[in-house]
Amino acid sequence: MNSWLLLRRDWRGGELGILLLAATLAVTVVVGMSAFVASLQATLTDESKRFLAADRVVVSGVSVSTAWRDRALDDALATTVTLAFPSMAVTAEDDFHLVSVKAVESGYPLRGDLLISDAPYGPISQADRVPSPGEIWLAPRLYALLGVSNGDPLWIGDAKLTVAGVVRREPDATSGTYGYGPRVLMNLADIDATGVVQPGSRVSWRLLLSGSADSLDRFSQWVTPQLEQGQRLLGTDDDQPRLGRTLERAEGFLLIAGSLGVVLAAAAIALSARRFATRHIDPVAIMKSLGATRSRISRLYGGSLMLVGAFGSALGCVLGWLVGYFFLTLFAEELGVTSPTVSIEPFVIGGVTALVCLGFFAWPPLTRLSAIPPLRVLRSDISLDGGHSSMDYLMGGCAVILLMWWYSGDLRLTFAVVMGLLVVVLAGGGFALLLLSGGRRIGSAAGSVWRFSLAGLQRRRRSSALQMVIFAIAIMLMLLLIMIRGALVEQWQAQLPPGTPNHYVLNIAPEEQAELTAFFDRYQITRQPQFPMTRGRVVTVDDAALAEYGTESEGPRQREANLTYAQHLPEDNVVTDGEWWDAGSQHFEVSLEEEFAERLGATIGSRLGLRIGAEEIEVVVTSIRQVDWQSLKPNFFVILPPAVLAPFPKTYFTSFFLPETDKGRLNDLVKMFPTFTVIELDIIVTEIRQIINRVGQAIEVVLGVILLAGALVLIAGVRASIDARVSESALLRAMGARKQLILGAIALEFSVLGALAGTMAVAGAELAAWGLQTHVLDLSYQPTFWLWPLGVIVGVLLIASLGLWSCRHVVSTPPLVVLREL
Amino acid sequence: MIKVTNLFKAVPVGGETLEILRGISFEIKSGDSAAIVGVSGSGKSTLLGLLAGLDQASGGDVIIDGVSLAGLDEDSRAALRAEKVGFVFQSFQLLPALTALENVMLPLELAGANGAEQQATTFLNKVGLGERLAHYPATLSGGEQQRVAIARAFAAQPALLFADEPTGNLDGETAEKIIDLLFSLNASAGTTLILVTHDQRLAARCQRRFAMESGRLSEIS
Repeated sequence: MNSWLLLRRDWRGGELGILLLAATLAVTVVVGMSAFVASLQATLTDESKRFLAADRVVVSGVSVSTAWRDRALDDALATTVTLAFPSMAVTAEDDFHLVSVKAVESGYPLRGDLLISDAPYGPISQADRVPSPGEIWLAPRLYALLGVSNGDPLWIGDAKLTVAGVVRREPDATSGTYGYGPRVLMNLADIDATGVVQPGSRVSWRLLLSGSADSLDRFSQWVTPQLEQGQRLLGTDDDQPRLGRTLERAEGFLLIAGSLGVVLAAAAIALSARRFATRHIDPVAIMKSLGATRSRISRLYGGSLMLVGAFGSALGCVLGWLVGYFFLTLFAEELGVTSPTVSIEPFVIGGVTALVCLGFFAWPPLTRLSAIPPLRVLRSDISLDGGHSSMDYLMGGCAVILLMWWYSGDLRLTFAVVMGLLVVVLAGGGFALLLLSGGRRIGSAAGSVWRFSLAGLQRRRRSSALQMVIFAIAIMLMLLLIMIRGALVEQWQAQLPPGTPNHYVLNIAPEEQAELTAFFDRYQITRQPQFPMTRGRVVTVDDAALAEYGTESEGPRQREANLTYAQHLPEDNVVTDGEWWDAGSQHFEVSLEEEFAERLGATIGSRLGLRIGAEEIEVVVTSIRQVDWQSLKPNFFVILPPAVLAPFPKTYFTSFFLPETDKGRLNDLVKMFPTFTVIELDIIVTEIRQIINRVGQAIEVVLGVILLAGALVLIAGVRASIDARVSESALLRAMGARKQLILGAIALEFSVLGALAGTMAVAGAELAAWGLQTHVLDLSYQPTFWLWPLGVIVGVLLIASLGLWSCRHVVSTPPLVVLREL
Repeated sequence: MIKVTNLFKAVPVGGETLEILRGISFEIKSGDSAAIVGVSGSGKSTLLGLLAGLDQASGGDVIIDGVSLAGLDEDSRAALRAEKVGFVFQSFQLLPALTALENVMLPLELAGANGAEQQATTFLNKVGLGERLAHYPATLSGGEQQRVAIARAFAAQPALLFADEPTGNLDGETAEKIIDLLFSLNASAGTTLILVTHDQRLAARCQRRFAMESGRLSEIS
């Protein structure tokens, strides 16, 4: 006899099916989640790349070296060059306007889509080419501002170009020299003719690159040492800091979800292995009475388990991949997924999960089967020694913690979840034992249904407490994910609430302030306060002169910044060191943004030399601030007290919200205030919203997968105790108990378990949510009071209905049949 | 041949020692049949467990075909059972997930015997279940299940067959048939048969009869 034969026969018995299902489920959840998350991460990275219009970009203020292009081509990378600069666009009637010129060549963009239309605000289509030499494409509102139509001439510098179309959206609209006026797009071949790009011109050259990761890395390594002052290599992480935290949090959530999937899978395996072992006590005793040795039994079941693990892993890998693929296909459009990422990693994680879960949860009870005394064939009261099971669970728990850590790569995340689980297991388990001990006394004073059910729970006190803990873990993990999802979505919505400013206005002269306010009032435009702004440069720190040029790695260098003054700490700013000044401060002091301070090497008490215009002043750093750059509200690196900065010449700066439908108001604004510089952020806001929506949808999908896994654990948990309940109920029916009494007792028994499990689950979930939100996801934590009654109600309804459903055949088949099956 | 010498079995119960068997000695020759009768709790099943090497004695020895069980560990006793011992139980002890044929094949497979299926089929035919090979225990009557158990016990051709209340779960008519089957197979195989029973008819069919009372065994003449 061999393990394969045993496996085949056990499979028919049905018990092995449960274990195989649990192992398959474990691997499916882990592989599915990992594959989905990997593809999602790749998609989100692609999304970030779209902002660059390439995989990597070399930015240069001077030119793009031909050596770079040659080397990129050698590395099998696709390349294209763009040049951006502000310039005046002049019409035949000598009307003019400041525009952001972008000159491109064929191949642009390498990533993302260039959207155009024939007429301003007309139907949008995807461009399959760039402007031909001699053509110029304009942003919609330039048509009105300049009074031009398609076919009209337009001058950029000395080059006469023909208006030939409308540029609606470029993938990299948000990077580089955006914002100095509406966009115009022209061909790079026409640049020489313009004559505006001279040595020293304020321009931004970009070499766009795309290709395989290896080639990109090779090129990056080659080019980095050659970069000089004013040149930099952009990857995906450094160009979109606004999205950084959003994506980090989304990834954090997905890792938490995956880790919870691992715990749920382990719980499912532990439950089914326990049931498998319990149901194999008699077969093993019979085999031993027929001459099977301990080692033979261990080999047989060990081999059988390995086969289950191999089958389960293989099946789980296939199913997991299919599940991940299915979700990706299902949400392809919403999530912007192009193709699933094929990587070995999810399968390795799945395989190791199966190995660890089976090794630590299934093997211990199975290996103890070999210790069943053969005498059990004569004496059915001899049972499996359960004394070691606590140690098994402890070892298994440690293994799962290590697995979670490995899976998430985040110790704090793992710790937060483990603390929540510990509350459930230790405090909850002890509390459950205590309550169940007292339950019988309560039950004996109550009606017969209560008496039966509470007596049942009390009789199986240990297993009831264990079952309750398992239920609580499953419910806790599900609640936890729901809570964190809620907190994340809430935070994202708060980050970009409706009405978030999507346009900045700079260069507001003091005498124009009132007129601008009147303009905003007339059109009921929501806006932020107007901030004074003075250009300044930090030249010394503690009397040490800072280098005018050089790279950051060579030490602090001079920094130019927009300075402002304020009596009070701006909204959304948090002082992390020092103290904000008293209103009306006459002291020469300064408040710095924390990263700005770090780059300068300035701390509280440092003396900064500021050059403003021709004057130099010295101020002392008295506070360091944390600024929420993601809020898109005006923020400043350097703030001084009004008494210090107000005497200097200044302009004002504000931001406002303009809905897409009122975009035409921008023309009125620019016509009315031709000296204003308007920065359009609406594209950024739309893009960020789009990504947040996609991530939000992904999170919904992942939540669904975990809820499914949780439900399966609950089913496995209910089934684990079903045998004992079935036999007792059959006995009661044989003795004449009515169906209602038995069903009532079962419903009550599971309801009590559900209520206690629900209570424990909420407590554990609150603790873990607190840990995860405050220490991992950097979110604020609020106790969710409504969750407490909900947790209990859900626990009762879910567990009682699962219990009744699982025991339904007890009352629908004759007791004799049930008894004969046992 | 099985020889029992001064066999003791005591178990601790609530801090005290309960003596279940108190110095039992007897000898059964190869091919003989013996019945052990006694009231419930007299120690019959305990004695059977010790004779078959399913449990360890507190004192004394059991020698099966010259091999002392006292000197054997659990695995060695299992190996001895695989080679020499067969069982028939009151509750049949068939594996519910296995067919009648597979249940009978089980001891042969555990012993690594060749032609397990053919041999098992032969014995199922002998007990009249040749048509029910692929049936699972749940679909067989009590008498049929016991016949599968008897086929399983004889299929491995043991030198010693232990039966624990083999008719205890059967009605009178079925029990009669099972007794006939047990003894006819025993006679043709030349197996030493030791059975524990309440059933006087069954005990009467054995060559020797012993009475168990308060842990002591005496032969009924």
